[in-house]
Amino acid sequence: MTSTTWRVWLRRNLFRNLRDGIITLLTAFIAGWILWKVLRFVLITGRWEIVERNLALFMYGRYPREDLWRITLALCVAAFVTTMLFSMWSRADRAGVKRSPRTMLGEIGRRWWPLIVLGIVLLSFVTTVGPWIAACAAISCLFAGALLGRALSSAPVRIRGSAVAVTMLGIVVLLWFLADGLGWDDWGGLMLSLYLAAAGMVLSFPLGVLLAIGRQSSMPIIRSLSIAAIEITRGVPLVVLIILSSEGLGFFFPQDVLPGKVVRVIVVLTIFTAAYVAEIVRGGLQSVPNGQSEAAAALGLSPTRITAFIVLPQALGNVIPALVGQFISLFKDTTLVSIIGLLDVISVSESIRKQSDFKGQGLVAETLVFAGLLFWVGSSTLSRESRRMERRLGVGER
Amino acid sequence: MTDDRPDAAAADASSTSDVSGSARERGPAQFSDDDNDDGDGSHLPDDPDAVRHRTPSDVFADATLVSGEPIVVVEDMNKYFGTFHALHDINLKVVKGEVVVVIGPSGSGKSTLIRCINRLEEHDSGHITVDGTELTHDVRNIAAIRRETGMVFQSFNLFPHLTVLDNITLAPRQVRKMSRADAETAAMALLEKVRILEQANKYPGQLSGGQQQRVAIARALAMQPKIMLFDEPTSALDPEMINEVLDTMKALAETGMTMIVVTHEMGFAREVADRVVFMADGSIVEVGTPEHFFSNPQESRTRQFLAQIL
Repeated sequence: MTSTTWRVWLRRNLFRNLRDGIITLLTAFIAGWILWKVLRFVLITGRWEIVERNLALFMYGRYPREDLWRITLALCVAAFVTTMLFSMWSRADRAGVKRSPRTMLGEIGRRWWPLIVLGIVLLSFVTTVGPWIAACAAISCLFAGALLGRALSSAPVRIRGSAVAVTMLGIVVLLWFLADGLGWDDWGGLMLSLYLAAAGMVLSFPLGVLLAIGRQSSMPIIRSLSIAAIEITRGVPLVVLIILSSEGLGFFFPQDVLPGKVVRVIVVLTIFTAAYVAEIVRGGLQSVPNGQSEAAAALGLSPTRITAFIVLPQALGNVIPALVGQFISLFKDTTLVSIIGLLDVISVSESIRKQSDFKGQGLVAETLVFAGLLFWVGSSTLSRESRRMERRLGVGER
Repeated sequence: MTDDRPDAAAADASSTSDVSGSARERGPAQFSDDDNDDGDGSHLPDDPDAVRHRTPSDVFADATLVSGEPIVVVEDMNKYFGTFHALHDINLKVVKGEVVVVIGPSGSGKSTLIRCINRLEEHDSGHITVDGTELTHDVRNIAAIRRETGMVFQSFNLFPHLTVLDNITLAPRQVRKMSRADAETAAMALLEKVRILEQANKYPGQLSGGQQQRVAIARALAMQPKIMLFDEPTSALDPEMINEVLDTMKALAETGMTMIVVTHEMGFAREVADRVVFMADGSIVEVGTPEHFFSNPQESRTRQFLAQIL
């Protein structure tokens, strides 16, 4: 690339005429000013000591310190399972395409850079050796998962299916193990949000699909119950439901039969998200042409099989972006649990500003920027992976 | 055959029709003729030999063209869409191994007729019997009939999220409970017959229209149906792809498959059909052998239609 081609590019795209030139300079000035302010805050004026000292609270709240190894283990299993599933269904791995380590690293960088940045930020705050051990263990599990996934990618469907089943079972066992004897209400920080979001997604998805199908059912009772469930839930603010779950249920049930707050919040988030998922899935069901079910009916498939094999797969494929959008808002909405006194990322940042060392120093920006970073990394990763999945499913269709 | 006057078939249908133009052109004598035949016409001849001795104007006289066991029997069938009377008193009998081509102007109810035969549309009165099973509200009967009838659609309706192979094996595995291996072996044999074996692992969106329609034919055949229904199978195809589909259908007809084909391809009708059924305004106007139908049509409505398209 010579200097003349650069000049031609600049002239063509940024300085075509006087007006373009002014707009370019103005935009560059504003962008530069914002960048300068941000960098100055991040690197110079920001007092990150408050985050550094309270990193553990941000990450897992009041989870007993002597049981942290359970979280490390969970992290390792999650890393292993995720990469295993990803590379099991990776098109390139299945096609047996050999990729050089360099291209693979490049792809990992492009896909996961927010997570990598977050990892570096977190480790830069760390002063003890424990988190480094955990990080190393998790990274080794990432690679081990990728290798196993790759080996399984050419295996028959049945073996891959049972691998997924074993994995799901493993996750359930793991969650039980994480909470075992510790109670749910000690959970906090980012771990609480991740846990609430994951549980909400996993549980609300099937419920939402059932509600969507129920809404289109020809049986009047099922249809009206589904419509009622969806419309009532969608008509009420999530905050109301969350507060109701924590404070209001005592009027109806004796306290001792009610599960802990975390479980109640999971139920609320599940129902709330399911109502929205149902409406999204309904849109997807309606987007599948009638000819599809007619063709399936003409082949003799029963209505249940038509839905399961023909309509639903296409409907879900069509609504992936909207579904992921809903799950991203679920993830962010988990911060509302600070209202009912659970120690999530937001309540952690509130409470640490009252610590004697930081009291009255106005460290709102530092704590909330860090909290925002945690959520942005999760949300942006979800949305980028959904776009990838959408592109992949789009190949070879219609 | 020249004095064959299947006008009763038309009169029978148009007498209940309030929109038929042909009724106005008919003389009073024909109407009385029609009345005489009504008694005979509403009964199905059980013995095909007996049919040969019926009056030429009998509704089912054309059944004599092909003798054999009736496999699709439609009697006095009516179909409404809301207040629109889509099909008027349809009577049609198709025998095993017969190829019946249904032609007529658009909106005449051709597609509705064959969609009623596998219950994609529900008829409002009359009887439809397929391979001895009557179509009722009983879902077991509907399921049984759909197992025996394959259907090919104008817009292919392949499942875009499944490969060609999975499109074909899905129903045999789920409905006929075949093993995956058996279903795939059978599917590959069918793909070879429709000459697209090499596309088995592609998705429908990666195939041309003609190839997609041949996959659709293979998919329907995979259920080993006794009757194949074709709903304008070539209407959505580019001209250069029409023949590859028609050739596949011809080959299928030569195997003795019972076929009911709604089409605008008059060449196909002339060459392959055992009988041609002409429909207009929701009624069957005329039924005849292709030679008879194309060279010596009896009804003015038929002549008018043929003059427009030929």
